[in-house]
Amino acid sequence: MADDFVIVRDLHRSFNGFKAVDGVSFTIARGEIFGLLGPNGAGKTTTIRILATVLRPDSGEVIIGGHSATKDPQAVRRIIGVCPQELALYEDLSALENLVFFGRMVGLSGGEAKEQAMANLRLMGLEERAKGKVAKFSGGMKRRINFAIALMGHPELLFLDEPTVGIDPQSRNHIYENIVALKEKGMTVLYTTHYMEEADRLCRRVAVMDGGRIIAMDTPYGLKSRIGDPAKVTLEDVFLHLTGRSLRD
Amino acid sequence: MQNMRHIWFLAAKDLTIFVRDRASLFFFIVFPFLFIILFNFLLRGVGSEDSRLELHFATREPEGGLSHLILAGMETKDESLLAPGEPKIVREKDYAAARLAVEGGKLGGFIAFPENFTRALASGEPLELEVFADAGRAELRTALGGVARSLAAELAANQVVIRASVALLTESGIIPADEPSIAAAVRQMMGKITPAGGGSSLISFKVEKVGEVKETNPSDYVVPGYLVMFVFFAAAVSAEMIVRERQNHTLERLLATSVGRSSILGGMFLGLVIKGLIQITIFWVVGILAFRVDLGHSPLGVVILSVLMVLLSSAFAVMLATLVRTQRSAASLAVITSLVLAPLGGCWWPSFLYPLWLQNIAKISPHAWATSGFNKLMLFGANLGDVVPEVVALACFAAIFAVVAIWRFRTSAV
Ligand SMILES: Nc1ncnc2c1ncn2[C@@H]1O[C@H](COP(=O)(O)OP(=O)(O)OP(=O)(O)O)[C@@H](O)[C@H]1O
Ligand SMILES: [Mg+2]
Repeated sequence: MADDFVIVRDLHRSFNGFKAVDGVSFTIARGEIFGLLGPNGAGKTTTIRILATVLRPDSGEVIIGGHSATKDPQAVRRIIGVCPQELALYEDLSALENLVFFGRMVGLSGGEAKEQAMANLRLMGLEERAKGKVAKFSGGMKRRINFAIALMGHPELLFLDEPTVGIDPQSRNHIYENIVALKEKGMTVLYTTHYMEEADRLCRRVAVMDGGRIIAMDTPYGLKSRIGDPAKVTLEDVFLHLTGRSLRD
Repeated sequence: MQNMRHIWFLAAKDLTIFVRDRASLFFFIVFPFLFIILFNFLLRGVGSEDSRLELHFATREPEGGLSHLILAGMETKDESLLAPGEPKIVREKDYAAARLAVEGGKLGGFIAFPENFTRALASGEPLELEVFADAGRAELRTALGGVARSLAAELAANQVVIRASVALLTESGIIPADEPSIAAAVRQMMGKITPAGGGSSLISFKVEKVGEVKETNPSDYVVPGYLVMFVFFAAAVSAEMIVRERQNHTLERLLATSVGRSSILGGMFLGLVIKGLIQITIFWVVGILAFRVDLGHSPLGVVILSVLMVLLSSAFAVMLATLVRTQRSAASLAVITSLVLAPLGGCWWPSFLYPLWLQNIAKISPHAWATSGFNKLMLFGANLGDVVPEVVALACFAAIFAVVAIWRFRTSAV
C-alpha cells in the first residue's frame, strides 16, 4: 500500500539461540491504531524494541516513514514516541522535570518543552502534581507520566507497550480516553495490551502473536467472525481459541 | 551543536539528582574532611622534632675554583641565626669522603659542583650539579634534585652576564685571553655576586624557598592523599547511578530518541567531571584556608594533577558502569577498588616508606602516580617539569579507561 507508514518484513531476533521474534511481517497505515496481542513472552516487546531502534534485528527489514530502522535509525527516532512496558522515569526528579528533560532530549527548546510538558500533564490530570517528586507517586500516576513522556515532541508514530498495565480502572480509563483522542487527531499507533476489550474498541486491525510469530491478523470484527457470530463472541474468545489455554510461563 | 546540548542536559540532569541527595552530598563533601582532621591530628608532631633540614654540599673542583667561593658563602656559620624552617647548609670538605659516607649510610645525600664548574660558567657550557643520594631515600633525592635545579638555574642566569663581561674585557684587552686570567676575572665578578660571609642574596632566596616547603605541615601530605582517594571514590560510587539509568529503563528511553550513544556517554562523563571539579575546588580552598596547605613552587602543577585525577576517575566510573550489570555489583566494585587502590597508592601513608617491590606494584594504581606527583610538588620543592612522568601516567590511565568505556558502551545491549 502506498500510504503504509510502517512496513515490517520477516523480522528475526534470537537471544542465546532462543527465537523471541521469528519471522514477523506486518504493515501499519498512517493514522491507524494497530494492535499487537499475544500471551506473555510472545515477542511483542521485542518487536517494539526493534521498531524503536533500541534493539537490532538479526535479519529482516523495518521501514518507518520511509526510513530504514537499521540503516538510518536517527531519522526514525525523530518521528517516534515510545511508552515502554516498564516505567522509564527518574524517580528523584519531579513529574515536570521528567517531561521537560525528555522533551529537550527529543530536540525541543526550553520554552517548547515546558509548554508541552504542562499540556501533557494537564491531559493526564497531573497538573497539580507537576512539581511533585515521582518517587512519591502512585502506580497509576507513574503510568500516566510514562505515557505523557511518549507524547513529548509530537511524534508521528507512537509505540504504546501495555500503557495501562497494573493500574486502577480510573487511571486506565484516563489513558484509554487519551488514546481515543489521539486516534481522532489521526495519530498512528502500535498498541499492545492484554485487555482485549480495549483492543477491540480501539484498533482498526490487530495481529495475534505467539511464540515469536504472528498467527492471525485482521480487523477485530474479522477475527471474531472466524469463530462465530461477531456480535456474540469477544476478542478474548478469539484470543484463547487461537493461542490455546495452556500457561506460558 | 545539538550533541553538545544533549550532553549538557544529561549532565545537568545527573547533577540535579545528585544535589537533591543529602546523603551523597555529605559523603562527597563533609566526610573527606572528617578524615583529614583526624589524620592531621594523628600526624601532628611527626617530623617536627627533626627540627632542621640539613643540605650537604661538596665540590669536585680543585682548590681555587669558583665553587669553593660559592660554598664558603652559602655555608651556615651560625645555626642560631637561621630562621625557623630555613635549612642548614653543610659544606663537605672532601667529595670522595662524602660519597663514602653516603654509601656507608652515614649521610643521606649531597649536591656536588662539577669539576669544570668555573670553566663552564665562563664558557657557557651547561651547568650540571650532581645529586648523590641514597637510592632508598627517594624523598631526599627529590628534595636535593629540586635544590640543585634551582641553584643551576640561578647560576645560569648569572652565567650570561659573566660571559658577556668576559668577552668585553678580553676584546678590549683589559685582561689577557688565557684561561687563568679569565678564571681570575670570573672569580672576582662572582665574588661580587656572592659576597663571602653574608650568603648570596640570589642563591639563599631559592634555598630559603626549599626550607619553607620542608617545614612539615602534615596537611601538605594528608590533604592531597585524601583528595586522590575521595575524588576516585566519589566518582567510582557514581557508577551505580549510571547502572541505575539502565535498570530504570531510562537508558532505553534515551536510546529511542535522537540522542546518540556517544552523547549519552558524554553526558554521563561530563556530569561526573563537573562533580569532581567542584570537589577538588572545595578540597583546595578548605585545604589552603583551614589547613594552611602549601601548594609548593608550582600551584599549576597541583591543579593539573588534580584535574587529571578528576578526568581519570570519571572515566573509570563510566567504564565500571559498562562492565557490570547490577547496581549492587557496581557499588561493591567501586568500594573495593577504592579501598585497595588508596592505601596501595600512598593515600593513607607515604608510599616511599614501602619496600621497593611494593612501590613497583603500586604503579598500577593511578593513586600512586597522583600522590607521588603531589608529594614531589608540595613536600620536596619540585617544579612542574619534575612531575611530567606523573602527568603522562595519569593521562594514560584516563585514556585507557575512556577507550574501554566507549568500546563497551558501543557494543553492549541495553
Ligand atoms: N534481552 C533479552 N535476553 C534474553 N531473552 C529475552 C530478552 N528479551 C526478551 N527475551 C525473551 O524473549 C521472549 C519474548 O519476550 P518479550 O518481552 O518480547 O515478550 P512479550 O510478548 O512482550 O511478553 P509480555 O506480554 O510478558 O510483555 C521471552 O521469552 C523473553 O524471555
Ligand atoms: Mg512485553
